[in-house]
Amino acid sequence: MFLVSFFAFDAHASVLKGVDDETKLSFWEWRSDAVSIRLVQRLPDQSRAYFMARKFTSEHAEMIAQSCVFQSVFKNTAPPNKNYVVKYDLSEWRVTYKNKEHGLKIKEKWLNEWQEKNVPMAAQIAFEWSLLPTIQRYHQGDYNWGMTMYALPPGARFDLHLVWYENGIQAQVDIMDMQCGPDIRLEPVSDF
Amino acid sequence: MQNRLRYKKLFFFTGLLLWVCVANSAQKQSLHEMTDKKLAPDFVLKDIDGNEHRLSNYRGKVVLVNFWATWCPPCRDEMPSMDRAYKKFKKAGMVILAIDIGEDEDDIFKFTADYPVSFPLLMDKDSSVIRQWAVTALPTTYIVDPAGRLFYRAVGGREWDDDALIAQLMSLQKK
Repeated sequence: MFLVSFFAFDAHASVLKGVDDETKLSFWEWRSDAVSIRLVQRLPDQSRAYFMARKFTSEHAEMIAQSCVFQSVFKNTAPPNKNYVVKYDLSEWRVTYKNKEHGLKIKEKWLNEWQEKNVPMAAQIAFEWSLLPTIQRYHQGDYNWGMTMYALPPGARFDLHLVWYENGIQAQVDIMDMQCGPDIRLEPVSDF
Repeated sequence: MQNRLRYKKLFFFTGLLLWVCVANSAQKQSLHEMTDKKLAPDFVLKDIDGNEHRLSNYRGKVVLVNFWATWCPPCRDEMPSMDRAYKKFKKAGMVILAIDIGEDEDDIFKFTADYPVSFPLLMDKDSSVIRQWAVTALPTTYIVDPAGRLFYRAVGGREWDDDALIAQLMSLQKK
């Protein structure tokens, strides 16, 4: 029984959908024996608050808030005895929305816009390091947290095509019917 | 009958062995050993108390250089274990320089109310230092060996007071 369940876990990579314990928002997660990719909705209001606290004007924070932001966690979960190198390039990921396909709005595109709009340097630095790196390489045990942005309106439903490389070999998965965080304001939770 | 018993034993011990392997792999904290081991880019940065730190002044010691920010959840998560490791191995020569990216003294002071640490917190306010290091995300930690070379790297947080991890770091001191 033990052996059966052990190998079954290893052999069945899958997409999980659920509600994040901490944020109470929806998440989608891909897990295999070497890779875990978790995408958690962020509400536009969370993005407004986060970026305005980091010296963005309300106008610029609104641009980010309206761009469909997900908190993203990418991990190399291969066991220590496996010399697995996992690599990805976010510019290869594709979004399908209303039968049209487009790429993610990656960090470099945003930074060009912020420079053109003369956004303060401190805000640009905070923005740059808050996003998931566009290209990353993970050795065993490595991982990152960071925001990814999908250039879609709040609440939009879309399919996501993810691509990554395990020891140079391409892997891909489609996550269907994801949803951007809706533009709602959460009431503060009272302890009373 | 004896065969059945033998198979049962074999099944049990194989299961036990696999369980031990899985349990160990879940707990192991790993660092990536750099293949080229280039010299670490030198820097001079002030900590939040106004003291200046030059990396090359720590030659002869193992230096853990951690790039972080107060708003970064995995950076916050690894700070307590880093502090425990520092308190335990400071006398053995362990040096930790935690470099905050893009924030000022006020942001970091507020942070230390919830996460008190005893190692220096340096500030790279304009991110000019991090750009000289091969860092693409926070937290990223490099272990600089006593010769000043980039020896290990960890992308993402670690439990720094893990015994095996500490032994790995302190073995560099003896080399």
